[in-house]
Amino acid sequence: MADWVRSSALGYPLMITLHAIGMGVMVGFALILDARLLGRFAEIPYTALHRFLGLAWIGFGINFLSGSCLFTTQAAEYVVHTIFMVKMALVVLGGITAAILQNIVAQESAGWAPNVAPTKVQVIAWLSIIFWVTAIVCGRLTAYI
Amino acid sequence: MSLYNAVQDWMETTWVHHVVLDYAWSWPTLETLHFLGLCTLIGSLLVMDLRLIGFQNLIPLRAVHALMPVAIISFGINLISGLGFVIAVPRMYTGNWSFWAKMICVALAGLNFLIYYTMIEPKLLKAGPTAPTPFSAKAIGVSSLVLWFSVLSFGRLLPYLGVGGG
Repeated sequence: MADWVRSSALGYPLMITLHAIGMGVMVGFALILDARLLGRFAEIPYTALHRFLGLAWIGFGINFLSGSCLFTTQAAEYVVHTIFMVKMALVVLGGITAAILQNIVAQESAGWAPNVAPTKVQVIAWLSIIFWVTAIVCGRLTAYI
Repeated sequence: MSLYNAVQDWMETTWVHHVVLDYAWSWPTLETLHFLGLCTLIGSLLVMDLRLIGFQNLIPLRAVHALMPVAIISFGINLISGLGFVIAVPRMYTGNWSFWAKMICVALAGLNFLIYYTMIEPKLLKAGPTAPTPFSAKAIGVSSLVLWFSVLSFGRLLPYLGVGGG
């Protein structure tokens, strides 16, 4: 698989395109969900976003698979590449916060004020924004440093 | 000298051209803005277009409509960062058919939005907030998603298509 992705004219561009699509879907939804929990777009019910986040996981899955393929092309170089490993840590943290938020929204949002979530949830939403935005910055910087 | 060449020659004389090429941090900064902009654009469009298609019909249409400014501002960020790229190295883009394919898709997506805004949305906002969406609205939602994911793909493939090596 690594050889095919590395050497075929189709494999590498296909994988990075899928990776960009998965990023758009996962991070896009996550940022919208976070904004909603912070009080923006208050007319959208919390439970509706919870359902959309289910679709976001499809984006995450696409990126897990495409990322694994890309990783295998240069695994030895990637594991010692600091900024890449930082990105990986941030992606894991972003995924964890998304799962936590999905859970909290499913279980507790019925009791929330309709406009904005409780403070502890807002803190997690801010962390989610920071994790995902920094992950993307690190992803871009992987090519440069 | 054609207008096509004159515009590109002019771009290479601007301060934008020089700033982007002279400072090492400028290209990654533009790229990061472009990527973040595309995420918020795709995120807001997915919610709005899927709602148009009929997914999650229980959400009032008006509520989802509130995301429109996010899409417009995201597009603005990408337009400005995109201009940064093109003004820096115009011929790298104008000589690449993937760039033109991407721009055509952006134009078609804009047309799609205009059709939605002028012809479809007024009818939808007058109907019940959770009424099933007509076929025209579903078609607009589908074409919006297809076009914007095409924009994303042609953009990502710029280094690989149309340069004789991809």
